[in-house]
Amino acid sequence: MISAIYNFALTTGANRVIRGARIEHVCGDPTLSPEKDYAFGMRIVTTALQTLTIAVPGPTLFDPMTPGKT
Amino acid sequence: MSVPLRVVHYVNQFFGGIGGEDQADVGVTVKADAVGPGRVLEKTLGDGARVEATLIGGDNFVNERADEAARVIAAELDRLKPDVLIAGPAFGSGRYGLACALACKVAQAQGVPAITAMHPENPGASSARREIYIVPTGASTTSMQAALDALAPLVRRLGRREPLGSAEVEGYMPRGIRRVHDRGRPGYQRALDMLLDKLHGRPYRSEVPYAAPERVPPAPPIADLSRARIAMVTTGGLVRKGNPDRQVSANAVRYHRHTVAELESLSPADWEAYHAGYFNHLVNSNPNYILPLSFLRDLERQGKVGHVHEHIYALPGVSTPVAVSAGHGRSIAADLKAGGVEGALLVAT
Repeated sequence: MISAIYNFALTTGANRVIRGARIEHVCGDPTLSPEKDYAFGMRIVTTALQTLTIAVPGPTLFDPMTPGKT
Repeated sequence: MSVPLRVVHYVNQFFGGIGGEDQADVGVTVKADAVGPGRVLEKTLGDGARVEATLIGGDNFVNERADEAARVIAAELDRLKPDVLIAGPAFGSGRYGLACALACKVAQAQGVPAITAMHPENPGASSARREIYIVPTGASTTSMQAALDALAPLVRRLGRREPLGSAEVEGYMPRGIRRVHDRGRPGYQRALDMLLDKLHGRPYRSEVPYAAPERVPPAPPIADLSRARIAMVTTGGLVRKGNPDRQVSANAVRYHRHTVAELESLSPADWEAYHAGYFNHLVNSNPNYILPLSFLRDLERQGKVGHVHEHIYALPGVSTPVAVSAGHGRSIAADLKAGGVEGALLVAT
């Protein structure tokens, strides 16, 4: 689950939680240039896809801004 | 000395001494006096109560022919006129638990107080806990004596038609009933006391019941993303431009499935958000923020993702009761599985 309110997702039992940008623009950021907006969104989406290849014991947060750290 | 309470005990074919699984189809019969665990029950209840009769029902019969079983139980209770009916304990046995719940409901409908005992996860408990008194037990018969010890004081009081206190105090499973009563001190004082206890590390209890969210076992990882079929789901209220499907903006009673088989990305000319829980204008300028089709198509072209599933699922995730949301989730998950989807990205606003 990709969500900007990631704590909510974690406490309600979602197992793979990816930190999104903001509620109004979860997969990207319109305040950035179109190229940077796209790169940011792509980072969130690829992080989300990678979590599908990882076993998790229970609700786990993945932050696209700090790769490798959960 | 007062007259002993007249107790009727309901048990299944196994505890009634008729037989095991091979006898689960037998109908409801009655035996005089206590049978099997009923003897221990009687002893636990003490001199103030006597098991007058034992109703014995086959687990399959009572569940498959519930109406017929209910009629027989009702007729026997009408004849025996007990002060109280006790069913079980059923522990973790599902069919037995449902049968005990049925027996209790039949008794209550006739004005006979009733109580049963079973494991909290028994389907009999989850289906009937709001309607009848159920004492929680362990999952197996090893907790028999503990279950009977817990039942006995409640049975005596129900039999004498004394009202029971709250579930918390009496130890039966909460029925979801709230009663107005005076706690003696106003809320702000109780809240401050609770806060002080918390700050001092002392034990405290919230007065607001907490429903712990369901735990779902994590899905096993996908071995190879480059061969996997990936789907997208959004609770961001994505609709086709102009909302021709008439999606609501909150409290969704259904979800909407759209096809994106022909699409490279979600264009703001064709898609927008209709959701009462956040400002939709940024998504309206780029709907891929809540359903990342453009990104997945690029990854699909690069061979990093096997296939992008042709269907997307959308609803506004706001002001929807948990039970309704869980129903939508189950239905979407079943559809994804049937479509051969191995992984899904759910974007939640």
